[in-house]
Amino acid sequence: MNPIRDLWQSISRRDPLSTDKGKSELVFLNVWLHIHPNKVRPEGLKVKHTWYLGFITFFLFLVLVTTGIALMFYYRPYPQPAYQDMKDLQFVVFMGGFLRNMHRWAAHGMVICVFLHMCRVFYTGSYKRPRQFNWVIGVVLLLLTLGLSFTGYLLPWDQLAFWAITVGTNIGSYAPLVGARVRELLLGGHMVGEEALIRFYVLHVAVLPSLLVLLTMVHFWRIRKDGGLSRPVWKLKPQKAANLVHIGEPEPEPALAAVAAAPDKTYGLMEVVTGRPIFETVAPEEDEETVFSYPYAFFREGIALVVTVVTVMAVSLFWNAPLEEMANPAKTPNPAKAPWYFLGLQELVSHSALFGGVIVPALVVLALVGIPYLDSNPSRRPADRKWAIWIFTVFVIVNIVLIIVGTFFRGPGWSFVPPWVHVTAGAE
Amino acid sequence: MDRKLPQFFFALSLIALALLLAAIWQSSHPSWKLYQREYYKLESQGEPNAAAKAAIMDTSLEIHQELLPGLQRVDRCTTCHLGVEDPTMKDAPEPYRYHPNLAPHSPARFGCTVCHGGQGLATDKENAHGNVAFWEEPLLPKDYVRASCGRCHKEGDIPGVPELTEGRRLFETQGCHGCHKLNGTGGSIGPDLTAEGASQRSPEWLESHFLNPNAVSPNSPMPNFHFTKEQARALTFYMLSLTNEHMATYYASASLIPSSGYGRQLFTEKNCIACHSIGGVGAKEGPDLLGVAKEHSSEWLDEQLVNPQQVYPGSIMPAYDLDANARKALIAFMSNATAEDAQAILAQRGKPLTPEEAAIEAGKQDFHRFGCAGCHGVNLQGGVPNPNAQGGEVPSLLHVSDDYTKDEVIGIISDGKQPPLADPHKPPPPLYMPTWKTVLSQEDIQRIADYLWSIQPKKEAW
Repeated sequence: MNPIRDLWQSISRRDPLSTDKGKSELVFLNVWLHIHPNKVRPEGLKVKHTWYLGFITFFLFLVLVTTGIALMFYYRPYPQPAYQDMKDLQFVVFMGGFLRNMHRWAAHGMVICVFLHMCRVFYTGSYKRPRQFNWVIGVVLLLLTLGLSFTGYLLPWDQLAFWAITVGTNIGSYAPLVGARVRELLLGGHMVGEEALIRFYVLHVAVLPSLLVLLTMVHFWRIRKDGGLSRPVWKLKPQKAANLVHIGEPEPEPALAAVAAAPDKTYGLMEVVTGRPIFETVAPEEDEETVFSYPYAFFREGIALVVTVVTVMAVSLFWNAPLEEMANPAKTPNPAKAPWYFLGLQELVSHSALFGGVIVPALVVLALVGIPYLDSNPSRRPADRKWAIWIFTVFVIVNIVLIIVGTFFRGPGWSFVPPWVHVTAGAE
Repeated sequence: MDRKLPQFFFALSLIALALLLAAIWQSSHPSWKLYQREYYKLESQGEPNAAAKAAIMDTSLEIHQELLPGLQRVDRCTTCHLGVEDPTMKDAPEPYRYHPNLAPHSPARFGCTVCHGGQGLATDKENAHGNVAFWEEPLLPKDYVRASCGRCHKEGDIPGVPELTEGRRLFETQGCHGCHKLNGTGGSIGPDLTAEGASQRSPEWLESHFLNPNAVSPNSPMPNFHFTKEQARALTFYMLSLTNEHMATYYASASLIPSSGYGRQLFTEKNCIACHSIGGVGAKEGPDLLGVAKEHSSEWLDEQLVNPQQVYPGSIMPAYDLDANARKALIAFMSNATAEDAQAILAQRGKPLTPEEAAIEAGKQDFHRFGCAGCHGVNLQGGVPNPNAQGGEVPSLLHVSDDYTKDEVIGIISDGKQPPLADPHKPPPPLYMPTWKTVLSQEDIQRIADYLWSIQPKKEAW
């Protein structure tokens, strides 16, 4: 009888490691090993295949949740107090400025990384059967990330926040029929004010993060169910690739057969189905070369995590998150700009509100969602999908160019002003 | 590579730890702590007693702040400026020096930034003094701090700040209203000046702007009024005092200082000289007021002004409806009024006006009050440059009856007018006649026209 050992055992729920049973239970009862498969293909861990962008995005989200909760202790979502709280974070709260810097820079980083992750998945063709739906979830996660960044943008209640959200929600209101209504619903009125602030706050700290966590769980789960990390293109074998196409196609025999329920049944339909599983599931084949997740995958993920955190911390030590004057609805900056990731949109809107504000973004979202279903080419080899790669590359470059033009080349009245030319505001 | 992974991971973790420690160090060594240590060292030097010395040196380092909900400010200036209320610090180096002549504006009630500007919430020098991006009120230069008196004391004379009185007078008489809005009234050719004092313009900018508008803002349509240096300074003071910040009653109620100047104005307005005399000058119905403040206490005088019958039953003096500030001002005036003052007040009274003269006088008042003088000149001489208008300047109104009938002039005032272009290929002139019918009543416009006609040279009828 050793109370301390009993207590420890009640926590770890396994025998001491000195026994063989204890050693095996260390593996079987380990929560981390239940999130991962116990074995992975080593080529899936190559940096040059995934660049760990999905992991980095997720780790940035963890940084954001941690710093965000800490910031919530100091934040009052009401116009003047909100701005004063920003100043207090900067000047009075212990490590407050550092926390806010981390939150702001990690948020920008997450928007960038989620986009780069999407590019990686496209270029490696990893969205193809059976991963089509996971791509769709990924697109929704991208939109949620933008939504989180956008709602968070308003919270400091400075000029930057106020006018970026005013411009951003104005772009949204160009949508026919519902646009103005959606804007009114989002803002709780016709202009950005205290009602908008509390709505954005609730979306930012409760609604959107919950949705994002939920969908991230599905996103991760689907990766395992769809066969683990995708195989690098250079490892594809011709026959395997051909085989993959046929996985999941129904066999001739009946797929599902229900067992008659007992009269005193206490279970649901999903438990009594026999035959093939209803989800497409791909497991690594036994004859393939695999390595144990621990330590090979674990330490690599750990390194990705620490590299992410170190980068965010280093940036936050030296660069302060922007904070302008307190929001002043009577004083419009010229030009008023949306958050940087919407500046491509604003650039389009400056040419045509309907075309740039409604048609193009709607088509882009539809096209992104539809990519795995429109692209009927089964091959993942770049040589076989030149057109797809060309089209996507043009989309990425146009996006980046529009954002750069909107950010650096637009001056008062949205006129074309190169960044090296200084323009003073109009005559007094 | 794989064997090195754990080492690599732990090495990176150490870097993360180092960065965390750096962030903690950065946060726990703010500059204000250094200033406070330095201050307590300075303070303890004067203490002969070792125990008292140690006690001062042991004072905990903390942020000092004045919460000023009535001014919607939080001032943390006294975190570093620790000696502001300590007279023994009058020769101490900044930031510890004693602030003389603070009463009645104690930091606990007023903070610092409402007068000095700067960023009260900040706790490091650069940010607190406000010379940083995105802070609209940097610290005011020493010579201009007195302009802030006008933020609360919005009317009448302010002792020690003649610039503000002069600035206000210039603003009212030079026709600034014609182009600039102030608290909702005025023209829209120039920018709204309601919160000019809260904008990021420096006093130096304002002053050179008044001396020559085009020097600091090229292409400004504002005419050069050829102000003297003193006048430019006075207008700068006035501009700096203009803010639309919300103030609690405690601060707003002091808008008028009960000065003797205001008392004199009341004395004239209420026509006290009709019954009273000062030093023998004036009417003899009431008592002479020379030295009355020496005979009676100010409480007694105050009571007399509230209810004369109470003090002297059967007194013929009527009870005036004067607020406490006004009574204080009157008493302040009476305590140093002399026979010369009475003489001057009597001289001002002039003979009563006929109804026609009164209407013309009212038109003249309107002409100045609504800022027509800004462009057309205080003496209607015009001449303000207006590029690309025919003649190149704003027209004089001295001979307006040669070109227009009275009804035409009334129409131009009501509906405004774009001046005809000298060169149709060049941009339209910056100055134009605004539409006045939304601001002025038909009656006012008629009066202004009457005023203009009253000064036209007489012509032979033919």
